[in-house]
Amino acid sequence: MIAGIDLGTTNSLIGVYESGFPTLLADSEGKRLIPSVVFYPENGAPLVGREGLRMQALHPERTVASVKRLIGRRFGEDETKDLAGPKGSPVTIPINGEDLYPVEVSAEILKKLKAIAEDRLGTAVDRAVITVPAYFNDAQRAATRKAGELAGFAVERILSEPTAAALAYGLDRLQENARVAVYDLGGGTFDLSILRLDNGVFQVLSTHGDTRLGGDDLDEAIAGLLLREAEITTLSTEITPEMKVRLKEAARAAKELLSNEESTFVRLPFMKGSKSHEISLTRAQVEKVCEPIIAKTRAHCLRALEDAGLKAEELDQIILVGGSTRMPLVQRLAAEIFGKQPNLSQHPDEAVALGAVLQGAILEGNLQNVALLDVTPLSLGIETFGGLMNVIIPRNTTIPAKAGEMFTNAVAGQSGMKIIVLQGERELATDNWTLGSFEIPFPPSPKGAARVGVQFSIDADGILQVLARDTSTRSEKIVEIQSAVEVSDEAVEAMLAGSLEHAFEDMDARVFTEARLKAEEMLPAVEAALAQLGSELLESEVLEIQGKSSEVQAALESKETVRLKQALAALDNATQTLATKLLEKAMG
Amino acid sequence: MDPFALLALPKRPLLSEEEIGATYRKLAGESHPDQSGGDAARFRELSEAAAILRDPSRRLRMLSISPGGSLLPPEAAQLFPRIATILQQADNLIEKQATAFNALAKAVLAAPLKNLRHDLESTLHQLQEWRTSLDRELTEIDLRWPEHDPDAISLLADSYAYAGRWESQLRERMLSLDCI
Repeated sequence: MIAGIDLGTTNSLIGVYESGFPTLLADSEGKRLIPSVVFYPENGAPLVGREGLRMQALHPERTVASVKRLIGRRFGEDETKDLAGPKGSPVTIPINGEDLYPVEVSAEILKKLKAIAEDRLGTAVDRAVITVPAYFNDAQRAATRKAGELAGFAVERILSEPTAAALAYGLDRLQENARVAVYDLGGGTFDLSILRLDNGVFQVLSTHGDTRLGGDDLDEAIAGLLLREAEITTLSTEITPEMKVRLKEAARAAKELLSNEESTFVRLPFMKGSKSHEISLTRAQVEKVCEPIIAKTRAHCLRALEDAGLKAEELDQIILVGGSTRMPLVQRLAAEIFGKQPNLSQHPDEAVALGAVLQGAILEGNLQNVALLDVTPLSLGIETFGGLMNVIIPRNTTIPAKAGEMFTNAVAGQSGMKIIVLQGERELATDNWTLGSFEIPFPPSPKGAARVGVQFSIDADGILQVLARDTSTRSEKIVEIQSAVEVSDEAVEAMLAGSLEHAFEDMDARVFTEARLKAEEMLPAVEAALAQLGSELLESEVLEIQGKSSEVQAALESKETVRLKQALAALDNATQTLATKLLEKAMG
Repeated sequence: MDPFALLALPKRPLLSEEEIGATYRKLAGESHPDQSGGDAARFRELSEAAAILRDPSRRLRMLSISPGGSLLPPEAAQLFPRIATILQQADNLIEKQATAFNALAKAVLAAPLKNLRHDLESTLHQLQEWRTSLDRELTEIDLRWPEHDPDAISLLADSYAYAGRWESQLRERMLSLDCI
């Protein structure tokens, strides 16, 4: 039996295909939604799910939540800013004096789901389809597969979440021929996939997304709003981790309530200070802080449409899934982007898990005449001479896929070639994600005489394998792309020792340089704008701007970082009216 | 590999996207490795064949190989300087806009961005007109098929390649503007 698992940022679900139907399984408390939270007691086995969640507010330092945002990531990426470690090495989470890898934490969640399923069904459940965000890269997919294996599953497929949701949606409409977009805004990630449904075939045409955009970010924004409304001016350092957890809990509760109500009261009895805080919050206030975050989904929708070669009006349905799409604001924005009322027929929390169960049924042969043709979300290629990315498999290529290219030596006498494997859409190699690198040795030969064939193949899980072949010696090498999660401990320690020494020494110099560049751009811009529109300002305003400009100039000469930053902020402030006038003029 | 034969489509210049997609989905659905009796190698070949046939330039090159090699189509030679300039301008401005750090810096860019959008639109329009004339030529070639001039087909294939690439580059910049 193959179980279907939605391993979510906030919650996870597991289900199986039983007597012709996909069924999601409930835990001992009768709940299908299992919180993706793991608590590590000082002794004994970790507590996962609702039990883990209960411990989070008491022991945040020993609890891991939203681990999906860290899986397959390395220190130094945006997502890992709260964690200290050597840049470029796999991220770890310090718990009870031990460094845990995100895969290990994810494996605990998967073990819990496995136990729930085995308990409900009374039989072993050791095969699984696990879903991931469509926009997950190779390392994140490989790490998720590894987590499944650590939990004791044979991972039969890594499946993209919006594709799974489309399968759940389309199963009752197999005869139809339609173009649909799946807008999937979950706890931590956003995906937009466009599919063609045609007689049981689900063809993904394009996918776009952001693996760092979801309900978590909305909760953060609302928590900030609560602090401002409560006029809590305590420095953020005085807010303990416990308070932070509770504040986010309160923010999430308010967000959920305000999806149905127009206003609510939020109590923050746990904050420091004499008075207990009671804040009245309206839906409009919450929408105002959430809007800029949700608006980020627009660009991904437009790009997915472009890649699919479709216009919004050519889509038959916009299917919303993911818990965050319960917010009326999200529904409104989706309607506005696509010019059409979205389809809310799918259960926002359960559609992805149901789709995973259905994919399991396809693999077992229990669900016939249904096929998923998925794509790789990001282009794969190698770094070429000059530091550019040479795409070998472009994004939105149907998987499984294979493609290759021949390379030759650029220098006479060269005795090997270094191949750097990249994933991403940027022209410069360094702007893309480096999946790994390897050396192909060959006998020294004249320029252009050595020939190395590099072949990329992407399996149905979206995971890459690279085969390199020296065609002159016919020696072949299958290269395992070393994913971020599999670097050895010694390598980590070596990197740690090296990077900490240099981490802070150039910090201040860099900040000053950044501020100087801003100032050098700003000053002539202010001068030009004043020359053009100064006559439309009050004399006092002009004087104010000129004064702040001189202060920026003086701060530049003083070479004091803090002074320059303050002067720039003041000038920024003083030129607001001028900026508005300039904008109005440009827009005519 | 003969992509036409693989997808059981007639071997001729004019094929509709819809026609290619429908037969691809049917055959690929049957041969997907998840299906019992699926065949991963055949599946990959079908995907590759569909990708070739969907692109008029690659499709034409499958039909006829000109011995003369490729020439720069005159329309492409005429359009190239304008496209290169506008792409460079667009990248510059979009980069500036992305790094603009305050209201004034953004406001300063508003007028040039507006001009850029206008230029992009008119250049895209010009490209689309070119493309329409290519489509007309393709239809004519298809009408006379299988009688054909290999040089004309080769030139048309090259023209489609330029038009297609430039159009997607310009549209990409337009999208970046829309997403600001």
